[in-house]
Amino acid sequence: MSQGNSNVASEKGASFRRTVLDGVVFAYLGLTGLAVLGLSEAELIQKIPQLVLIFVGLSVLGGGLSLLLNARGIKTLGWQIYAPPHLRMKSTEELATPLYRTFWGAQMIVVVAITTVVGVRMTEIDIFKLLEADRFHHAMRLFGELFSPDWSVLPKAIVKVVETIYIAFIATVIAVPIAFVLSFLMARNIMGGSKTGFAVYAVLRTVFNVSRSIEPVLWAIIFSIWASFGPFAGMLALLVHSIASLAKQYSEIVEGIEDGPVEGIEATGASRLQVVWFAVVPQVVLPYISYTVYRWDTNVRMATILGLVGGGGIGAMLMEYFGQAMWPQVGCIIFVIASVVWLMDAFSSHIRAAIK
Amino acid sequence: MATMEAKNDTILSIRNLVKTYPNGTQALKGVSFDVKRGEFLVVIGLSGSGKSTMLRCVNRLHHPTSGQIIYRTKDGHESDIAQAEGEEILRIRRTMGMIFQHFNLIPRHSVLSNVLYGSLGATPTLKSLMGLFSEADEKRAMEYLRLVGIQDKAHFRAAQLSGGQQQRVAIARALTQTPDVLLADEPVASLDPATCHIVMDYLRRVNQELGLTIICNLHFLSLVRQYATRVVALKGGVLVYEGSPSDIDDAWFERIYGEGAKEVHIN
Repeated sequence: MSQGNSNVASEKGASFRRTVLDGVVFAYLGLTGLAVLGLSEAELIQKIPQLVLIFVGLSVLGGGLSLLLNARGIKTLGWQIYAPPHLRMKSTEELATPLYRTFWGAQMIVVVAITTVVGVRMTEIDIFKLLEADRFHHAMRLFGELFSPDWSVLPKAIVKVVETIYIAFIATVIAVPIAFVLSFLMARNIMGGSKTGFAVYAVLRTVFNVSRSIEPVLWAIIFSIWASFGPFAGMLALLVHSIASLAKQYSEIVEGIEDGPVEGIEATGASRLQVVWFAVVPQVVLPYISYTVYRWDTNVRMATILGLVGGGGIGAMLMEYFGQAMWPQVGCIIFVIASVVWLMDAFSSHIRAAIK
Repeated sequence: MATMEAKNDTILSIRNLVKTYPNGTQALKGVSFDVKRGEFLVVIGLSGSGKSTMLRCVNRLHHPTSGQIIYRTKDGHESDIAQAEGEEILRIRRTMGMIFQHFNLIPRHSVLSNVLYGSLGATPTLKSLMGLFSEADEKRAMEYLRLVGIQDKAHFRAAQLSGGQQQRVAIARALTQTPDVLLADEPVASLDPATCHIVMDYLRRVNQELGLTIICNLHFLSLVRQYATRVVALKGGVLVYEGSPSDIDDAWFERIYGEGAKEVHIN
């Protein structure tokens, strides 16, 4: 009985989703058609409210159209994606029909084709620009200078890249204990037992999903204003990002542990904390170390980028010479960065392989 | 007077025990039976008959849906395990050791550490997190390791031991709790026949020498006849047999394990 009900409910949900999808696809096609037909960017910006209205209108129209087509047995893209599995079984005839001759196949091809056309226009792709004699020679000269590095800045570059490595290291070291504690609070199998536990889990997950979706470069801009330009700002930006990423990766490891040892320790009458410490932690230590080393490696690369926006280290030095178009010096800095990134990469994969 | 004695004789009275899982599966549909102090009770039945669920309800790894599990301690104190909450559950678990089909040791930790974890319940959390177990605990752990015959492997990692040895470590861990009851969930199901008897012999020794009450899930009838002092059988979450192991004849065997089932002997 209850199963029958849930089937009906899920079918209702599916039919709603496919109508919405078809409607939005229809509106998208209509709107891009309109835009391609000759509205300039300025006009588009001015007419946003009207365009939104048109989009909604077209969606409703498309949704209706989709319902109509589905009712007549024509399978739209939305149907194809959201139909319940038992209805998705194909007849031999359908299997023999080539993709472009089915309705949903044609619908998909049109969407991809139109998107490609609009995309090419928006990115202002122009191969000939690359081949203009003037531009080409200019670029070649730049490459020439980059590839004849000025080694006189090497000592400074080394000092600065060491600074970057330390920035990355400190961000990682501070992030690890925080992420360690968070990882258990963000693991469903640890927190799912009680209502309060689940609330903590849900809140933490949301907070860190949001903070992780803010790029470290943006954090660096914020911190370079708050803590002024320099290594400290870069470290703080990396720290925020590292805590969020590590907590997520760690918690996924916790969610993948084996239940046996947990049950074994639970059965002794151990407290919740003891169960985590003696049954969960031993299972996650090695993967934790592996992820942590990888995080440090990633942080070194990120710290370089953060330097470009005021985070100190080798990135800041790169920005300085880049701004003055001192290409031979830039070439030397790039060489140092590439070597260090390569070394860190080799080092971290070596360690990760060793502790497996 | 006689009834009083019979009552004192009973360590657990399970009454109308029902367990329904959140997905709707009814693992136990109202099971009732008694467990006598000091007996070696074996629970038989197919996988899916509710044996494991029943055992896990007794030490509250699972929460029973309804019914009672009356627990009588030696000093005559009675409590309903099914109603226990929070700290009370932990206190109950401390008086019941448990061993599992897959041993459930911490594979990367030493044998001695694993056995010491049996005294986690009696050690304050903060102290245990720093690895500070009392000297008495360590002595007791070594003593039980000697009892199961693997004291010379105390400093090996648990993962380095064979299956049978790991199960003996698990028995030592359970004994370190100084429990009144030992729950064993298919303790020999993942062991080879030879090792199987070694482990079962240790369980019998623990039962006879230390006087522990044992509730053991098994599915080999030949082992049941050899080790059990009493048997209950579950089928589809219902109790279908209660009695002496020698009374299980072919007719009963078919009723418990289904039409056409053949008994397999292991030696």
